[in-house]
Amino acid sequence: MINLRNVRKFYGALEVIKGVDISVEDGEFAVFVGPSGCGKSTLLRMIAGLEGIDDGDLILNGKRINDVPPDKRGIAMVFQSYALYPHMTVAENIGFSLSLKKVPEAEIRRQVQAVAEILQLTDYLDRRPAALSGGQRQRVAIGRAIIKKPSLILFDEPLSNLDSALRVQMRAELQRLHRELKATVVYVTHDQVEAMTMADRIVVLNKGVVSQQGAPMTLYHQPDNEFVATFIGSPKMNTIPVTITKPIAGRIRAQSTYGLSLDLPDDGGLVTQGQATLGIRPEHLKIVADGQGDLSAEVMIVERLGVETYMTVGSQEQPIVVRAEGDIALRPGDRVSLIAETSACHLFDSAGRVVRSAQAS
Amino acid sequence: MAVISPSENANKTRSDLLAYATLSLISIFCAVPFFWVLIASLDGNAQLFLRWPEQWTFANYLRVFTKEDGAKWLFNSLFVVGGATVLVMVLAGLGGYALSRTRAWWKLPFLYAILLIRVLPPTALVVPLYKFLLTLNNAEGAILRPIFGEYTRPIMRWTGFIDGYLGLILVLATMQLPLALWIMKTFFDGLPRDYEEAALMDGATLVQRIRRVLIPLALPGLAAAGLFAFMSAWGDFLLPLIFLSSPELQTLPLGLFRAFLRINEIDYGLLAALAFIYLLPAVVAFGFARRFLVQTFAGGVKG
Amino acid sequence: MLASPNSPFERVTELSMARNVHERRTERQLLLILLPSLALLLAFVIYPALYSVYLSFTNEALTGAAALRPRFVGIRNYARLLNDAKFWNALLVTFLFVVGSAVIGQFVLGLISAVALRRRIHFRRLFSSIILLPNAAPEVVAGFMWISMLAGGEQATLSRIVSFFGVTPADWLQVFPLSMIIIVNTWRGIATAMILLTAGLSTIPNEIYEAARMDGATPSQMFRRITLPLMMPTILLYMLISAVSTIAVFGLVYALTRGGPGGATELVSIYIYNQSFTAFQLGYGAAVAVVALLISLVLGIGYVRAMKVEV
Repeated sequence: MINLRNVRKFYGALEVIKGVDISVEDGEFAVFVGPSGCGKSTLLRMIAGLEGIDDGDLILNGKRINDVPPDKRGIAMVFQSYALYPHMTVAENIGFSLSLKKVPEAEIRRQVQAVAEILQLTDYLDRRPAALSGGQRQRVAIGRAIIKKPSLILFDEPLSNLDSALRVQMRAELQRLHRELKATVVYVTHDQVEAMTMADRIVVLNKGVVSQQGAPMTLYHQPDNEFVATFIGSPKMNTIPVTITKPIAGRIRAQSTYGLSLDLPDDGGLVTQGQATLGIRPEHLKIVADGQGDLSAEVMIVERLGVETYMTVGSQEQPIVVRAEGDIALRPGDRVSLIAETSACHLFDSAGRVVRSAQAS
Repeated sequence: MAVISPSENANKTRSDLLAYATLSLISIFCAVPFFWVLIASLDGNAQLFLRWPEQWTFANYLRVFTKEDGAKWLFNSLFVVGGATVLVMVLAGLGGYALSRTRAWWKLPFLYAILLIRVLPPTALVVPLYKFLLTLNNAEGAILRPIFGEYTRPIMRWTGFIDGYLGLILVLATMQLPLALWIMKTFFDGLPRDYEEAALMDGATLVQRIRRVLIPLALPGLAAAGLFAFMSAWGDFLLPLIFLSSPELQTLPLGLFRAFLRINEIDYGLLAALAFIYLLPAVVAFGFARRFLVQTFAGGVKG
Repeated sequence: MLASPNSPFERVTELSMARNVHERRTERQLLLILLPSLALLLAFVIYPALYSVYLSFTNEALTGAAALRPRFVGIRNYARLLNDAKFWNALLVTFLFVVGSAVIGQFVLGLISAVALRRRIHFRRLFSSIILLPNAAPEVVAGFMWISMLAGGEQATLSRIVSFFGVTPADWLQVFPLSMIIIVNTWRGIATAMILLTAGLSTIPNEIYEAARMDGATPSQMFRRITLPLMMPTILLYMLISAVSTIAVFGLVYALTRGGPGGATELVSIYIYNQSFTAFQLGYGAAVAVVALLISLVLGIGYVRAMKVEV
């Protein structure tokens, strides 16, 4: 179990990691995700010991390991470029850490063979990295990591060097390995799809701060803030600036400048009158017969994918993406009426914090 | 920087200190020989060995030009080496471009030939080169003498192959060509063809493309090739030694060498000043060439 | 002459046809601008090299009986070579010179400099500038500088330095001539080694060292098991380049010792010079030159293979 407590890092006068608190349980597959420059790779390297921690604590299995050198932490890392030793064979690459400790040859061979079997590399043990495909190289990098029997494996954007078909395949591979090895994994990526499909726990990072951490579905349905709401989920959640009024007790009304008028139950009185942002995902907007909807808008773009259709409606200044099941044969220029599922509406205040979350389903 | 344990921290500092120490030692080793030239050139009563001057003076530098033929040597060196450098830059600029863009059958053999030519020691070529140039020289003399009579000699000083500016410039330039061609070829290889193709689509002929598009783009490469050619030709001692004999044509390395050979009373202060004058352009060129160094000589490393 | 293609259609059609008229014309033009360089190289390098071979089979000389009527003597010069003690001496001196200065001296000091300069310490640019400086000095000046260091017995700078450490100075150039020229050439060539080796070091991605760090490698293990093996191609290339350029050294040593005392520093290049321009034995000098050319060519072929020429 690994804990980061109020961890900070400075590059000169610039604070890049600003007090981060993260917990990862044993056996969990945790994914750090966020846009470029959010600090996710830096955090990973701090956990590995390749970068120093300026303030705060890094605790692994109860021990504070801020000052422990990288090779003594019981942590292994798979680098983005795999960093395989080009002049060594696969077997030598995997067994390198053991040969440094002067483990006897026979023992090294035995352990390397065992690891190779788990990763299906037994046929490639005598090849050099240059003679391997991208997927094979990645498995060698993983082999090099797991032979050390680490309590934690770190992955630094491992799939970003692969083409998309291979990426899908390797995602499944990695999940299989994770289950088999029962290892604790911290995985860094900028791709929220990878995060959503692979993680037990997602940590969303933005500009050196944790925006939210939790299970994928929690982040999807109950984002804490606008950043997480729009980062997670593809296509992005629609965000519409609205004015809140309270016409009747127990109800609030959200109205946008472009004709949206929506009544929502006022539960708990958290929402105050004034400006706010309404968040609603494309799949929670439905097309209804004319005049019966919360919003009437003109269709701008239609993307028909067969199993589903995405429409961008509204205007350049306020586009709204709608997802509909099946094939909808609308055309640009048509007008539609939409209703929004009230239980799936989010409201964010001017600072981006959520004030009304979707009702837990 | 990686996290390191306290004992490793001590090791790291020790390694850094070791780096400082070795670099300092090597630097001192490299720098010391320069001290004498620097100091003795300003010493009123300089000796061969290193000593702190009793009187500081620029008189030595003056004597280079008054007592010896320093001005003539300097001019000759600048003229000959400068001429060779310009010639190399023009030929290598054009030739390098051709080598880069051609797809003809002779490309690879030519490139291999250049590499092989670079490994030939010049001393092995001087003798036949001398004979060849002597023949050319005699032929030229035979042609010019009937026309110019007694003016042939002065003319030959400029156009002659042995003991003439022309010959030395041509030979010096030729010796620098292989490296310069290689530099320019590699440079043009790295230049996308887009610019030339755009010019081609605009209707430019080869000459127009070269003049108006390629030359401006090629300037960094030409600078590198020119600087290296200059430094190498400037330091060349063997070729002037073999091919020049009359005193009017002597260049700096020869002047320096012969001044040192004087059996009676060597004027060390003057020698040091002369050496410094000879040294200066090379060091200045080196200062400019520094940033091209890695690209030029390490190109072959990326296999 | 056809006009240059103007419309994109023509151009596309042109490019898709090999050996069309326009392409051939461009190729001719390219060859044309290469011709002056080719002419110079043929005239002043290739022809002399070939002429050297021819000369070596004659008994050309500038003095003596043969001067007036040189004739073809077959391999007599080469036979003479084999029995010439001074020739073998020259080969030995050159060999020791190359091994001492290029293979050992420059390489070791250049490698140390390259490795030390990778560390993040102050004054890196200053250090590297100073270490590169000797290479910028012209040969004659360099030789001259070292005469001040080495000649003059007790007064020489080197003598003063060693007597500071309690070692008795000697007349360096007389007593240890070969060692001295090796030191001088090492001094001159550290720059080449350092540049090439630095470039080689930089081709090793930093992540590999980080991975080794995580595998638990000490700096010494990293150097032995990662840096050195990966540097082998660079080191090989360096050895070939420096051997070739060291064989060609003439002015530096000539200015220092003129090949003496007693032939102790008579490199092959100096031997050729002495035979041709002092003894005026052109034919014989050419034979020695041919031997030097052949040795260089053999090294050169290795160099060409190692360079992996890109077309």
